[in-house]
Amino acid sequence: MKTVVSIDIGSTWTKGAAFELTASELELLERVSVPTTQNNLVVGFHETLARLLHQDGHTSLEELKGLAEVFFSSSAKGGLRIAAIGLVPDLTLQLAKLAAMSAGGKVIKSFSFSLTSSDVKELERLSPDIVLFSGGTDGGNSKYILENAQKLESSRLSCPIVYAGNRAVAEEVVNIMKSREVIVTENLMPEIGQVNIEPAREKIREIFLKRIVVGRGLAEIVELFGAQPKPTPLAVFELISAIPEFYPEWSDLAAIDIGGATTDFYSNTESYLETDTVVLKGIREPKVKRTVEGDLGLRVSARSLFETGEDYLRDRLGEEGLEFKHMEEFVSRISDKIDYLPVGEKEHIFDRLLAEACVYYAALRHIGGWKEIYTPQGKVYMQTGKDLRRVKAIIGSGGFLSEERTAAVMAIPLKKLRNYGEEIKLLPEKPDFYRDRYYLFSLLGNLIEKYPREASTLAVTSVEKLNQKGD
Amino acid sequence: MENQKDTIVIGVIGSDCHSVGNKILEMFFTSEGFKVVNLGVMVSQQEFVDAAIETNARAILVSSLYGHAEIDCQGFRELCIEKGLDPIILYIGGNLAVGKTPFSVVEEKFKKMGFDRVFPPDVDLKQVAELLRQDIKEKFGSCSKGQEAGARANQTSPKNQSQPADQISQNNNNRKEPEGSRTE
Repeated sequence: MKTVVSIDIGSTWTKGAAFELTASELELLERVSVPTTQNNLVVGFHETLARLLHQDGHTSLEELKGLAEVFFSSSAKGGLRIAAIGLVPDLTLQLAKLAAMSAGGKVIKSFSFSLTSSDVKELERLSPDIVLFSGGTDGGNSKYILENAQKLESSRLSCPIVYAGNRAVAEEVVNIMKSREVIVTENLMPEIGQVNIEPAREKIREIFLKRIVVGRGLAEIVELFGAQPKPTPLAVFELISAIPEFYPEWSDLAAIDIGGATTDFYSNTESYLETDTVVLKGIREPKVKRTVEGDLGLRVSARSLFETGEDYLRDRLGEEGLEFKHMEEFVSRISDKIDYLPVGEKEHIFDRLLAEACVYYAALRHIGGWKEIYTPQGKVYMQTGKDLRRVKAIIGSGGFLSEERTAAVMAIPLKKLRNYGEEIKLLPEKPDFYRDRYYLFSLLGNLIEKYPREASTLAVTSVEKLNQKGD
Repeated sequence: MENQKDTIVIGVIGSDCHSVGNKILEMFFTSEGFKVVNLGVMVSQQEFVDAAIETNARAILVSSLYGHAEIDCQGFRELCIEKGLDPIILYIGGNLAVGKTPFSVVEEKFKKMGFDRVFPPDVDLKQVAELLRQDIKEKFGSCSKGQEAGARANQTSPKNQSQPADQISQNNNNRKEPEGSRTE
C-alpha cells in the first residue's frame, strides 16, 4: 500500500489529489485546490502537496517527497502555443492542426502553401513555443517545403521546429535551416489520405518536457522528483485513450472540458465506417481526437464566446424568456472580473447558457457531417470529418461541468445541433451523460503511464451518470 | 525504387459512384510502373488538385461514366493553373456524353476545356499508358525525382515543355514491361 499524489498546475488553480494504491486499486483520499502562484510555481505546488499529505507548510519538499509517489502536469501558461504549417489546407495542414491539438497544444495560427513575408512577420510577432512544419507526401511536393524552410531560416524565430513533411527532402530541410533547432520526424501524411500523426505528437511532447518547464520554478520540481510534467490536456487525452483498453464497455466515448479560457473536446471512436452509401471525403481522422477551442471559455474567453455564440444564445435566451441586453451586461461583468461568481438565479442561467454555447460550438467543430447527394445510382452520403454516432458516453469535466447535476448543459446544445444547416451532423445517437464528479480526469491522466489500469478504473467508477430530463 | 516512379492521380469525378472501373485502372497503372494515387469515386476538382499538389503528381486521369462529365469538368484546367499546377497533364476517359454524340465532337469539346487527351470507354489501356509515358517525358523529362521535377513544374518555362524527348536520358525505357495487359 502506498500513497500516490497527482498535481495539476493550471493557470489559475493548482489542483491536487492524493490516492491510496493497494494491490490492484486506486482509491481517492483527498482532493484540494490552491491558487496557482504565478511567479514561482513551486510555492503553490508545495502547499498543495503539504495539504494532501497532512503536513504543515514548513515541511520541506525534500521530506514531502519521501511520503508519496508524485506525478504532475502543467497547463504551461494555458497550453503549448503551436504554429502549424502545411501545404494544402484540407490535407497536410488539417493533419498538422490535429497533431498539435492531440499533443496538448493550442494552434495559435496556421499557414498553408507559401509563407509570405507578412506570414513570417506574424509568426515572429506571435513567437510560438513550437512550429510544426509539414507538407507533401513522401516523395511528393517539395517546392513549397524548401521555399518555406528558407523563409523560416531567415526569420527571427527562436523556437524549435518540428519537421513532419515530405521525407524525401528532410535532409535538405535540415541543411537549409542550419541555425535552427529542427527535429525531424515521420511525415504526417506519407500517402494521400494516410494519417500518421503519432510520431509528431510524441516529438511535440518531448519538446514540451525539455523546454517549457524552464522558468518559474518548474525545473526545480522536475529535478527534485525526477519526473517530467505532462501538458494537462495531454493527460486527459491519454486517459481517454486508455479507458476502453481496460473497459471495452466504455469504448466509443467522448469528453468535454469547459474552462475559463478554452473548451476541449475529446473523442475515442472509429471515425468512419465504410459502407456502399457513404463516401468519405478528405482525411480519415484519428480514432482518438482532441480539439481545443481558444475562443470558447466561460471567463477569459467569455467575450469572444459571446460573439461566436450569438445565434445560439439569442435562440436560447428567447426560449428562457430572458433579454439579450441583460446577458450582454453579465458578459462584460465577468470579462472584467474573471473570478466573478454569478449571483442570483438569472446570472446562473446566463452562466449555464454560456457553457451550453461552449458545448454547441466545440461539438460543431469537432464532429463531422454528411451531405445528401442524389446520383444516378441513388442517394449517397458524403462524409467529411469524424463520425461520432456510436459514442455511448459523454463525460463532462473541468470546473464547471464537474459540478453540473443534470445533463442539460451538454444535452440541449447537442440536440440543437441536430438541426444544424443542411448537413447532417454525425452526433452521438443515444448517449448517456456523466460528470467527472471529483474533477479528477486530468489528475488521473498523469498516472496513466505508470498505472494505466488503476487510473482507468477509478475514472470509470468515479464518474456519475446524469439524469436527462424529458428528452 | 519508389522515388523513381511517376505519380499520377486518378478518380471518378462529380457525383458519379462507378467504382469497379476505377479499381481496375488503379491495378492497371500500378502494374505499368506508375505510382497511383486513387481518390476513388465522387471526387471534386478541388480534391484532384489538392492531391496532385501534395504528391507532386505528373498527371491527373479523370474518369466519368454517368454522362455529366462536361458539367463536372468545367474550369478544371483553370483551377489547375490557379493552383500553380500549370504543366500538369490532364486526361479524361469514359462515357463522356449522353446519347449518340460522335466521339470526335466529344474529344474536341474536352480538349478545348484543357484536357491533353480524351479517351472513349473502349480504349486500349496499354495505349493510354504508352501515351502517358510519352507525355510525361515531354513535359517533365524522364527523371521523376520529387524535388527537381517539382521545381521545374513550377517554373513553367516554355523551354522545359518543348524539350525534345530524345535528349532526355532513357531511364524510363528501363521500366519493366508488364507481362501482357490484362484489362478484362
